[in-house]
Amino acid sequence: MSADMAAPLTHRTPFLRMLKSSGIAPAVPALAYLIVFMVVPICTLLLFGFVTIERGRIVGDSFTLQPLMQALHDPLVWRLMWRSFWVAVVSSFFTLILAYPVAYVYSEARGSWRTLMLVAIMSPLLTSALVRAYAWLVILGGRRGILNQSLLSLGLIDEPLRILNTDLAVLIGMTQIHLPFMILPLLAVLAERDRRLEEASLNLGASRTVTFFRVIVPMSAPAIIAGLALVFAISYTNFIVPQLLGGGSYSTLAVQVYEQTIVVLDWTRGAVLATLLLVTCFFFIFAIVTVGARVTRWNEVRR
Amino acid sequence: MSHLVIDGISKSFGSLQVLQACGLEIAKGTVTTLLGPSGCGKTTLLRVIAGFVTPDTGRILVAGADLSQVPPNRRQVGYVFQNYALFPHLTVAQNIGYGLTVRRRPKAEIQERVAKVIDLVALTAFAERYPAQLSGGQQQRVAIARALVLEPSVLLLDEPFNALDAKLRLTMQIELRKLIERVGITSIFVTHDQLEAMTLSDTVAVMRAGRIEQVGPPLEIYDRPVNAYVANFIGRANLIVGQSRGGQFVAPQPIVADVRDGEATLIVRPENLALSQDDRPGWAGSIGFATALGPTIEYEIDCGFAEPLRAVVTREAGRGTLPPGTQAKVSIVDTRAAIVRAGSAGNER
Repeated sequence: MSADMAAPLTHRTPFLRMLKSSGIAPAVPALAYLIVFMVVPICTLLLFGFVTIERGRIVGDSFTLQPLMQALHDPLVWRLMWRSFWVAVVSSFFTLILAYPVAYVYSEARGSWRTLMLVAIMSPLLTSALVRAYAWLVILGGRRGILNQSLLSLGLIDEPLRILNTDLAVLIGMTQIHLPFMILPLLAVLAERDRRLEEASLNLGASRTVTFFRVIVPMSAPAIIAGLALVFAISYTNFIVPQLLGGGSYSTLAVQVYEQTIVVLDWTRGAVLATLLLVTCFFFIFAIVTVGARVTRWNEVRR
Repeated sequence: MSHLVIDGISKSFGSLQVLQACGLEIAKGTVTTLLGPSGCGKTTLLRVIAGFVTPDTGRILVAGADLSQVPPNRRQVGYVFQNYALFPHLTVAQNIGYGLTVRRRPKAEIQERVAKVIDLVALTAFAERYPAQLSGGQQQRVAIARALVLEPSVLLLDEPFNALDAKLRLTMQIELRKLIERVGITSIFVTHDQLEAMTLSDTVAVMRAGRIEQVGPPLEIYDRPVNAYVANFIGRANLIVGQSRGGQFVAPQPIVADVRDGEATLIVRPENLALSQDDRPGWAGSIGFATALGPTIEYEIDCGFAEPLRAVVTREAGRGTLPPGTQAKVSIVDTRAAIVRAGSAGNER
């Protein structure tokens, strides 16, 4: 666009001027879409937790904090939140430990090996998380599950392992299902990294192992933080995996939101718990990113 | 006694031969420059010495010890990378101390040695900054300090001035030369800039297409280039293709030619040519272009050769340049400084 065409536009309204000067203009379509189809519906749903509903209708002008207070005084809510939290934390770290070697091997691979690896990494995303959770059900399930059957027939165990319907099953399922979300940011950063830094490290007397832990890993810290934040968020709010692999009596905060809204049809409680889930999730993400920014301070500094 | 010996190093990447039987002997405490155009293999040779590239044949000896089987992290050979390769996640002090840290030296020793070197390169005030907060010249000094703190027996520098602007480059070249003399370390530079090579080195090795063409002190190479290629790479040269007969190059002035009869090339530096308008012996031509440089004037004179002759003459006080089209005679001031090499410059290039 030529300057003289843009000039009258920039002065017409302060809003348009701000839009131009902040450089936000290219993001406007996406922002508008998200506001209309995500922010507004979510706010509407969350609002249900703060009004009185009678016979499926909102009783006008009845803002109340009572359901929220009730939830905050409910020890069950805190217990479920704690479980959601630690399951998300542990599975995020598992994904990191499993994802890093994969991303590293990818970065060292060449040509068609890379393509092959990328296809392998991405292919789980082609099936829905629900299908993958069911697959784990088949693998981990009782005496006739693939895992127990194999181990029993190999004579490695005498009694079938009781993995399904435990925390372990939930962790295994989540870690596998969320693995691509950790691999992808790591892979992007590791594949593009500056190899001369490794030569410099070798030249200064560091072994390959020392170079890995002192140069490669710290340099990929921004990707590690991004991956952890991403995987934490989707693990913390995942309700399918805990429900299917944790069993009927297993619950997390996200599972409760689902059950209150879909099964019990108590939309008020569902909305209040969803609010708690969302707010705490934002808080933890903020904490991860803040800590990450401190660790990767060097990444922020510019002349 | 040579401190560093490069003995018959060859290296191919696939079908591309990058180094062909390169040999060089470097005395302790001297500065050597590998000079050549990009792609001539000079950086690869440096990487072979550092151990980043394994040669197909040949050996590298430092103080008599063969380094062939020594991995790069045990070589005690300092390397300054072209873009410095500073660790962006470490501060200046941590970057410089890296080599000592990975060797698990005591903290106090690291601090002391880093402080000493950081002072040597005048960066004490910047110790806690990150590389991204430094200028190009400061980054270069960090890279050099990082190598020097380990007191390596050999220091390798891969085009260390490339990323600097022209003015800073000159200052840093002189600074670095002084620094190297002070610590007395055997150094090898890689550059494609002949001025840099002249400024920095005791010895220059001119490379072409994976071979070392000539090795010697800069002025010796300037005065007695082994061929037209070297003559053109170190300084500027007029190349006149002609015939040599009976130990003489066929020209208006008698020039001793120590080559067999046949096609030969005369190499004359521009400052060894003079212009005259009398009947002195010389090539007759017409002035094509004149550039007044202040104390000297540079003329291009068309004498019917493939390229016009270039002459740099001292300007007489108060006199201007001769106008283009002026007929003049070009003669050689000192015929002993004119070199004749066999073959024609055309095949040389």
